[in-house]
This record gives sequence, C-alpha cells and structure tokens, in this order.
Amino acid sequence: MSGVILTPREPAGPPIDMTGVLPERLAEGGRDALAGLMLVRGSKRHRLDALFDLQDGGPSGALVLRPGGAVLDGVGAGMAAGEILVEGDCGAYAGSGMRGGTLIVEGTCGAFAAAEMAGGRLRVAGDVGDFLGAPLAGGTRGMSGGTVVVAGNAGDRVGERMRRGLIAVHGRVGSLCGARMIAGTIVVGAGCSPDLGFAMRRGSILLSQAPESLPGGFVDGGVNDWLFLELMRRDLMDNGAWPVGFPTAGTRARRLIGDRSVQGIGEVLILSKA
Amino acid sequence: MRLNGVHIDDTFAEAFPMLGTRLVITADTPAWVQAAVLSMTGFATSVIACGCEAAVERLLPPEETPDARPGAAVLLFAMNKAELAKQVARRVGQCVMTSPGSACYAGLRDGPTIPLGNALRYFGDGWQIAKRIGARRYWRVPVMDGEFLCEASTAVVEGVGGGNFILLAVDRRAGLAAAQAAVMAIREVPGAILPFPGGVVRSGSKIGGKYKGMIASTNTAFCPTLRGTAPMSLVPEGVESILELVIDGVSAEAVAAAMRAGIGAVVGLGAAGGVVSVTAGNYGGKLGRYQFRLHEVMA
Repeated sequence: MSGVILTPREPAGPPIDMTGVLPERLAEGGRDALAGLMLVRGSKRHRLDALFDLQDGGPSGALVLRPGGAVLDGVGAGMAAGEILVEGDCGAYAGSGMRGGTLIVEGTCGAFAAAEMAGGRLRVAGDVGDFLGAPLAGGTRGMSGGTVVVAGNAGDRVGERMRRGLIAVHGRVGSLCGARMIAGTIVVGAGCSPDLGFAMRRGSILLSQAPESLPGGFVDGGVNDWLFLELMRRDLMDNGAWPVGFPTAGTRARRLIGDRSVQGIGEVLILSKA
Repeated sequence: MRLNGVHIDDTFAEAFPMLGTRLVITADTPAWVQAAVLSMTGFATSVIACGCEAAVERLLPPEETPDARPGAAVLLFAMNKAELAKQVARRVGQCVMTSPGSACYAGLRDGPTIPLGNALRYFGDGWQIAKRIGARRYWRVPVMDGEFLCEASTAVVEGVGGGNFILLAVDRRAGLAAAQAAVMAIREVPGAILPFPGGVVRSGSKIGGKYKGMIASTNTAFCPTLRGTAPMSLVPEGVESILELVIDGVSAEAVAAAMRAGIGAVVGLGAAGGVVSVTAGNYGGKLGRYQFRLHEVMA
C-alpha cells in the first residue's frame, strides 16, 4: 500500500486542526476513510478531502503533509503507529499525546510539540516553540515516554514536568528548561538560561557548556566519570540525536545536583571535552 | 566406535533442563574484569550444593561490550527461576558491584526476565537513579569509586545442564592433558560453559549413597582404586585415572557442539595421548529430558 500525500487546497486561512489524521486511519480504512474525516478549520467543520488534495505517494502506509504555508495544528496528535512526514512547518501541538510511530517534520513546530507524549519518535529539522514535551494547558504530567530530537532551537519550558523519555535539542533552549522535571533526559546542545531545572526532582539534563551561573537550588557534585554517558552517546549517535559539539569520547562530566530547594536529586551534567 | 585409536563408548550423556542467563561484566582493565568474574563465578560448580552453576563463557574485547571497556560474558544456570534470580542478585551484588569500576549488563534480551539492577538498586539508599537508554533500562547506584551501572533486568533462557563426557586414561598425567585439551576446545564454543574447577571434575558422583541424607556420593563405578572391589565397576584394565567434563549450555545444540569440540580435541591427541576410551554419565535415561548419544554427537 502506498502512502498518501495531503496538500491543502487553500493554504491561506485559519489553522486546520489535524487531530485524528493518522496513519492508523489509513491502514484501517484506506484512502476513502481518510478522505471522509471531519476536520475543524476556524469555526467550521469540513471533510478532509474538501480541505486537502489527496494523492498516492510517499513511503508505504505513511502520510505526507505538504503544508505550503497552511497552519496545521495537532499533526500526529495521539498517533500510535506508522509514519507522518511533514514537508514544511507544523503549527501547535505536533505529536502531542503521541504513543508510538514516527513524526518527521522538515520545518519548524509551534508550541506544545510532543506535549504529554508517551511514546514514539518526533524529529524536527527546525526550531520548536514553547512547552516542548510539557503538559498540555491545565495538565499536570509532561512527556512520559518516547524520543524527541530537535535540530534547531526550542522555546521556554522544555520538558516541564517530564516523567520519562528523551528530548535532545541541538540548539539553544529558552528559560525554565526541565522545570519540575520528575525523570527522563534532556540534552541541550548549544545553551540555556540559568533557571534550568527549577524545582526538578529527578532526571538528567545534559549540557556541553556550563550555564552562565549555577542554577539556584543546585549543588556542585564535582567532576567524575559517568559510564551511562557512553551508552547514551552510542544510542543517540546511532539515531543522529547526539548534538554536534558534544564530546564524542570520554565519560567525564561535572554534576550539579538539585533542585535541593524541593529535596530534588535531579542532575545537570556538564560534559567535558575528551 | 573408534576414532584415532580412542574408543568412543556407545552410550549417552543424560542432561536436564535448567534456566540460565548471560551477564556481561565490564571494568576498566582486563585484570579487574577477571577479579569480578572470578569472584562472581566462585563456588558455582554444581547445583547440588552451590545454588547455581556458573562460569565465564568468553572474554570480550572493548568493541564488543556496551560501554567500550574490557569485559566478560558469564553464564549462570539454576534449577528454577526463583533460585536463578536469587543467585544472580547475590553474586552480582556481592562480587560485581563490590569490584572497582565494574558494570553489569544483560547478555540475553528475549524471553522472561529476572531482576538484575532492579534487585540491587536499594543499595543506593534512595540516591539511585533509573535511566532508560534506547529500549533498555539501567540503574545507577552511587558507590565509593563513582557509580555502579547495572541493567535493570536480564532475560532467562531454558538451557541444558549436565551434558558430560568421561575420559578414561592410562594415568593422571595423560588424563589431565587430554582434559585440558578438551577444555580449551570447549571454551571456543559459544553458549556453553564448564562450571567445574579448570573445567574438569575428578569427583564425579552418583545419585544417593549408603549414608542417610546424602543426595550424591562418589561415582564408585568409575573409581580406579575400587576396581575389583566396588560392585559394577566400569574401570577397565590399564586405566588409572578418570576425569569428567560437565557442560551447561543455553541450548541442547550448544551442549552438543561443546561435547563434539571436547571429544574431538581428545581424539585429536589419539591413543598415543593416553586416553583409552571416552564414555558418558547417565541414569539409564530415566531422569533427564536430554540424551546426547556419543556416536551421534561424533558422527
């Protein structure tokens, strides 16, 4: 079975909520089932085939989205299996609540990407907005599984209240990275603000360079060898998720432990050059 | 059957199902790997009294280990899952975690699991950290030289214990030389171990004994010093020394391959090497699920 390419008929206009447009639907009901899905654009509901031109193509069983300037929210939201390839930018909520499968975005993503994600893989070639891997508005649990790799920069509150999983941002992250984090791993390639790890209880934040000042509530645990870094580096390098500029050998790192203001024993590891 | 002048008895080795697992132990240097695995596999010759049977399967170069350090693959076998879990936790906890710079990983992935780091994490007293890397979960336990990294669990495989063959030699020197040649050959076979000291058993046993409570006693039929005295002695004229090699493996195929390699090495020495014949230990086929017929193994 070939994939399906979706191209908006009218890119200009309000955002289109893509929730429910998933490879599972294609696998279960074929192209007709996909075409009959009802989507919300602005204040109106439309059949998918009224909003998009459908063509066969792309990887087998996959959905290929070509936004062409349209704002597509909720791409891959709740996805459990299969593959979505976005040849352009996504709006908000890309991959939110994902449980499996792969979402590849060749452009950028808006806010709440991978919010409350529980499994699967999200790979973004460009930047992402705020709340990457965080809870949805009003939620209390952030990402609980899966892998997110962002080749560009990310906004504020990356991995907030994260419980499990991995977020690798090759560029910079905004403020409050890993805030109230419970577990999981965040890798930051380029830089972050000093308020990272605010109220963090457990989990790991990996940096290649120290923040300008020590985060409040963290204590310096000194430099040591961390064997798990070798395993993590191998795994991330295999997946192209190890940021450029991170050491490619050695397991030494400075460890900051915190946030002790909430009795947290999370860690910020600042990797040393080999 | 006679191979290169060595008589191969028309009999079979009787073996039993056991549950086993493979662990990969690493350390900063090969010497510290040895220190950890020798300690861990100590007193693990027979389930009769040791709780498990264990030995080093093979040493691993850095490029074959998860953390790019020298390592060793160790196989452990026990009679049931609960006992295997207990032995693994005790041995890793007391012998590997205590060894400087060590780390412990699962060497088997598929199948039911037993706790590894999941059982040892409590040593961290609340400061331990779970870390998922890829599809695997690890525990990082703070210790005095840094951190002990241990995979959370390891898979269990239904293996085979008690594969064996017995060398009947003209004297002890010849028997030992042949046994050592067999050991060297078997250690090249993946998935099989020789749990006894140096891979060789000199005190083979039979089930039970004349004394109450003895579950095993000396194999009188193969004691050269009892020839002519013990009932049903199987020691022929001219044989002064008998040694047994006991093999555990992750599969019947691994045990058969190990037997083939070991007996092949003995046969390679020929009759001039001093081995008169090769036989095997069994219980009449009534107890063990597996029978390894020597003629079929060497066919």
